[in-house]
Amino acid sequence: MQIYLPIAEVSVNLFLLLGLGAGVGFLSGMFGVGGGFLMTPMLMFIGIPPTVAVASEANQIVASSASGALAHWQRRSLDPKMGAVLLSGGVVGSVLGVQLFAFLSTLGQIDLIIRLSYVTFLGTIGLIMLVESVRTIRRRSQPEARREGGTMRRKRNWIDALPLKMRFPRSGLYISVIPPVLIGAFVGVLAAIMGVGGGFVMVPAMIYILRMPTNVVVGTSLFQIFFVSALTTTLQASQNQTVDVVLALLLTVGGVIGAQFGARAGRLVKAEDLRALLALMVLAVCIKVGVELVVTPSELFEVLPRGMEGGH
Amino acid sequence: MLSLLLAATLLQQQVAPDAPAIMPAFTKDTVEIRQDFSGEEMILFGATHGLTIQDEIVVVLRGPPQDVRVMRRERTFGIWVNSDPHEFADVPSYLAIASSRPLEQFARPDALRHNGIGLQFLLESRPENQDEELREYREAVERTGEREAIYDIDPAGVEILDGGLFRATLALPPSTPVGTYTATVYLFRDGRPIANRPISLTVEKAGLERWIYDFAHDLPLLYGLICVILAMLAGYLAALAFTKR
Repeated sequence: MQIYLPIAEVSVNLFLLLGLGAGVGFLSGMFGVGGGFLMTPMLMFIGIPPTVAVASEANQIVASSASGALAHWQRRSLDPKMGAVLLSGGVVGSVLGVQLFAFLSTLGQIDLIIRLSYVTFLGTIGLIMLVESVRTIRRRSQPEARREGGTMRRKRNWIDALPLKMRFPRSGLYISVIPPVLIGAFVGVLAAIMGVGGGFVMVPAMIYILRMPTNVVVGTSLFQIFFVSALTTTLQASQNQTVDVVLALLLTVGGVIGAQFGARAGRLVKAEDLRALLALMVLAVCIKVGVELVVTPSELFEVLPRGMEGGH
Repeated sequence: MLSLLLAATLLQQQVAPDAPAIMPAFTKDTVEIRQDFSGEEMILFGATHGLTIQDEIVVVLRGPPQDVRVMRRERTFGIWVNSDPHEFADVPSYLAIASSRPLEQFARPDALRHNGIGLQFLLESRPENQDEELREYREAVERTGEREAIYDIDPAGVEILDGGLFRATLALPPSTPVGTYTATVYLFRDGRPIANRPISLTVEKAGLERWIYDFAHDLPLLYGLICVILAMLAGYLAALAFTKR
């Protein structure tokens, strides 16, 4: 059954969209990731214009992060103060990102930038995760392996030298607000350009750069993702008119159901195996997008309708 | 004689009472794009006056004009990057040419060029697009349009029936652009059009699709906020539904 998407202006199979939502939802429930980095390339692959794919996926992320953020809020497993600081950067990043997106669209280069961002970030994050999880798996198979060092002592680093320090009681931190603001801003730009939540960048950054306790990391990340994707959706809609509400809702319906089954399936697999699988998946998407950048295209010209609104 | 005929054509066919005339009509004059739209076949019926056995009918359907930018993909540091843009103004967003026989078998190239029948001729009709260096760009516009099914050449798309009647079939793809379309029916004799008659067709979004589209473009900020609220609601309901189990 075909359904016509009013903003994307294409006709897509309804069950394909629901299935795509459920499939990506399953994986995101299983791995505990947002899934934007999988969904946006898939949408482009099935013929949704990249600009609409990115903006509508931001809308879907609002839905998927809302329930998660709410649950963490009730369990008090998120740091609202740190979330607010990250968010203040995220707002700036999102506004900048949407402007950049509109500017690159007028240059006819947005497709390239989206693809390059995917290859860069997925490649880097995927490799780091793969190496880390393979190490853990190896260590598991050699149970007598020596643990290096004793207690991890927190070393003083460049972050402690920065000014504008603030206390974050829930995280037990006393650090400068500059790094979290910058991280938030960076993730905001990514959200606008790549149509992702940015959890895959923010969670490692919170653990390794900010050294936040792991029990509040996921909740705080979801808190920031929720507000930034809500803002990005509003900005993309008001500035570029690229949010397709029908597309976003269909993906959400599939995604919500898929995520529940994914979460159940995820409990059957060991955490480090899950991370290795996720890393492989991230790298697969990276390679798929990367190959398209390098292989000689069948068409050596690209025809782009001029202007984003009106006409077509 | 020929120039006289041409002049008569240009000054509308009613000038000479015996000149051939065409009376076309679409089976419906508005195409509505609703949520189940997946392309549509348009039928154009027509009656002609003075159609002889050697005459051929050509129907050209043009969508609303748009400006397009064509960029050449070039390998830069190993990756393919768009470069050297050229803009074409007023390119039809949809173009279908249906004829009773393959055009090259009966139509003179200069007659096609003069009447802008064929995308290449339309693009070349503007002086800024005539440069030989732009030939590849013009061909790219045509090729891409054919691939996306918005340019459709059907050499058997017109069926000539008895009694000077004809029927043309034109395929609108799922990605049909909205707007006002013009179909021009040409009657070809001796390789030239001796009569033509335009008729318009409207393609518009209808029902919920139209409402959403208009809302998104007329009140974009409010639309964005509602998208966010709907998504929040969906997320909240999902959390509610699954925690109760």
